[in-house]
Amino acid sequence: MKGFAKWLLQLGVALLGIWLISGVPLLISGFQKGQFLWGEYIETLKRLVDSLFPIHDFAVEYYVGWNVKQLPLFPNLAEYIEYSLQLLFLALAAAVFFSLLGTFFTMLLKERARQRVKMVFYFLESLPDILIILLAQLVIVIIYKQTGVLVSKIAVIGDERIYWLPVFCLMILPMIQLYRLSMLTFESEERQMYVELARSLGFGKVVILFSHIFRNAIISVFFQSKKTMWFMLSNLFILEFMFNIPGIMYFMSQNLSGELFLITVLSFFLPVFLLYSIGEWVFVRRMKRGGAAL
Amino acid sequence: MKSVWRQPLFLIGFGIITFFLVGSFVFEWMFGNEPKQTFFIEENGRAVEAPPISPNWSHPLGTDQFGYDMLAKIMLGAKFTIIAAMAVAALRMLIAVPLGFALGTYLQRHRSWINGLIDPIHYVPMTIFAILLLTPVLWMPQEGFSTSITERVAIQVVIMALMTVPIVAALIGNEANLLYHNEYILAARTLGASRRRIIVRHLFPQMREKMFVLYGQQIVETLIVFAHLGLVELFLGGTDVDYDPMFADPPRSIAYEWAGLFGNSFRYLQGAPWLPLGPAISFALVILAIAAMIEGYTRATNGQVKMPKRKKMAFFSDETIEWNQQQLKEKMALLKKEK
Repeated sequence: MKGFAKWLLQLGVALLGIWLISGVPLLISGFQKGQFLWGEYIETLKRLVDSLFPIHDFAVEYYVGWNVKQLPLFPNLAEYIEYSLQLLFLALAAAVFFSLLGTFFTMLLKERARQRVKMVFYFLESLPDILIILLAQLVIVIIYKQTGVLVSKIAVIGDERIYWLPVFCLMILPMIQLYRLSMLTFESEERQMYVELARSLGFGKVVILFSHIFRNAIISVFFQSKKTMWFMLSNLFILEFMFNIPGIMYFMSQNLSGELFLITVLSFFLPVFLLYSIGEWVFVRRMKRGGAAL
Repeated sequence: MKSVWRQPLFLIGFGIITFFLVGSFVFEWMFGNEPKQTFFIEENGRAVEAPPISPNWSHPLGTDQFGYDMLAKIMLGAKFTIIAAMAVAALRMLIAVPLGFALGTYLQRHRSWINGLIDPIHYVPMTIFAILLLTPVLWMPQEGFSTSITERVAIQVVIMALMTVPIVAALIGNEANLLYHNEYILAARTLGASRRRIIVRHLFPQMREKMFVLYGQQIVETLIVFAHLGLVELFLGGTDVDYDPMFADPPRSIAYEWAGLFGNSFRYLQGAPWLPLGPAISFALVILAIAAMIEGYTRATNGQVKMPKRKKMAFFSDETIEWNQQQLKEKMALLKKEK
C-alpha cells in the first residue's frame, strides 16, 4: 500500500504544480510593469478550479474574428484531444517497434560495422525536428509536381484527419533516440556472464538475443525512455502546427488561456503518467519475483 | 591528456560555430546591419523575377518576399541566436550544478522522494510551458511594449533557463550520488573530509567532463525550443505586432534572429522552399556542430580526470624546520666532541 500512497502523492503534487503554473503569466505581465499581482493570481487560480467543476459543463472561450465563442469540452474539445492522442500513441508504437527491430539487426552485425552504424545515428539524432518535417513535406510536394501522385496530404483542411505522414514524421526522431538507447543497453547486457555461459553452451546468436538479452534489456530501456517521451510531446506540438492538424495543441496555441493550458497539459499528462506508472509497477514486480536480472 | 584540439570532430564543430559567430560580427562590420534589398531582377531591360527571388549567384540563399537577401539575414542573426542559446544553457547549469551536488550529498536521504516529485515533469510538453510563460513577455500588446529589448531578452533567458532546472539538477544529483558511494570517497570521509571538501576535491573533478557534455546538450535543447517558439511567432527579444486593422504587416522579429526568420517563412514552403529551409538548415548545422564537438570532446577526455593542482601542505613553517636542522647539527657536533 505504501507504493500506492507514494503514487497518489506524486500525482497530487504534479497536478498542483500544473495548476499553479497555469496562472503564472499574469504574474509575469505584472512583473514587467513593476507590480506584483498576488491577489489577482490567487483569484485566477480560484476561478480556474470553479470553471473545471462540473467537468461536463466545462467550456473554453475562443475567437472567431472578434467574436468570442464558447467551445464545450464535450464533444468538441474531446475530439481534438482524441486526435492528438491517437497520433502520439501511434507514433510511439511505431517508434518502439522499429527501434527494437533495428537493434536486433544491428546486434547481429560485427563489432566494426556496428560502430559505424552507431556513429551515423548519433548525428542523425541531432537533426532538429523542424527540418525533418520540412523535408518530408518538401519531398511530398516534389513527388507531386514530378509525377502527379499525391502520396499524402501535407496539410489538413477543415475537420478531416490524416494519419500516416504525421505519424511518420513524429516517429523518426524518437525512433532514432530509442534505437541508440537500446543499442547501449543491449551492448552492456551482452558483456554479462550469463550471455557468455549461454554462448558456451552452444546457443545461437539469435536465440540468445531474443530469449535472454531482450528480456533483461527491455526493462532498462523502458526506465530510460522517459526523456524520449518528453521530447516527443514537444515534437507533437510542432507537428500539429506545421501540418495544420486540428489537435488540442494547435488549438491551444491559437487561443492561449489558463483554462485551455490546464486542459491541454492534463490531456497529455494523465495518459502518459498512467502508462509509465503501470509499466513501472509491472516491471518492478517482475524484477522482485526474480523474473529478470537487472 | 590528449588534446581536444587534435580531435577532427571537435575541430569541425568548433569551426562551424566560429564561422557563424565571427562571420556574423564581421558581416555586420563590413556591410552594415541592414540586408541588401532587391526589388526585381532585370534581364535585357525586362524584369524577369520579383521577390521572393530564388537562389542565384548574387543571392546564394535567395531573397524573402520583400526582396531582402536571406544569406545576409541569416548571417546578421546568427550572433543573437547562438549567444542567447549559450547564455540560457550557461545560466541553467549555474543554477542546476550547485543544486544537483547538494541533492546528491547533503540531501541524499531525501533524494528518492525529491526525484519522485521531479519525475512527472517528463510528462508535460515543454514547448507548451514555454509558450504559456513567454507570451506575456514577448508578444507585443496593443499599446506597445512596456519593457526595453534588453529587459525582454533577459527575462526570456531567465525563464527558459529556469524551466528545466529541476530535471538537470536531478540528473547531476543522481550522478553525484553514484560517485559518492565509491570507496575512495568513503576513505576520504573516514579521514574526516567534510562534504564540501568532497564535492570540491572529488565529485566536481570527476564530473567535469560530464558537465561539459551536459552543457552542450542544453545548448542544443535551447536552440530547438527557440525554433519551436519561432513557429508560434514568439521571437527572441519580442515580436513586433502590427495592430493596424487594414494593412497589418505580419508579426516580425526585432532583430534578424533565426527563430524569427524561420517562423515568418515556413508557410512559404511550397512556393519558395528556400525561405524556411535556409534558417532550418542553419539551425541544423549549429546543432550538428555542437554534437560533433561533444563527440570529439568525449573521445579526447575519455576516462581521464583532470585533478586540481594540490597545494603544498605545510605542517610546519620553514622557520621551525630550519631551527630543527640547526639543533640537529649542534647535537651532532656535540656527539662528535664527546667521542
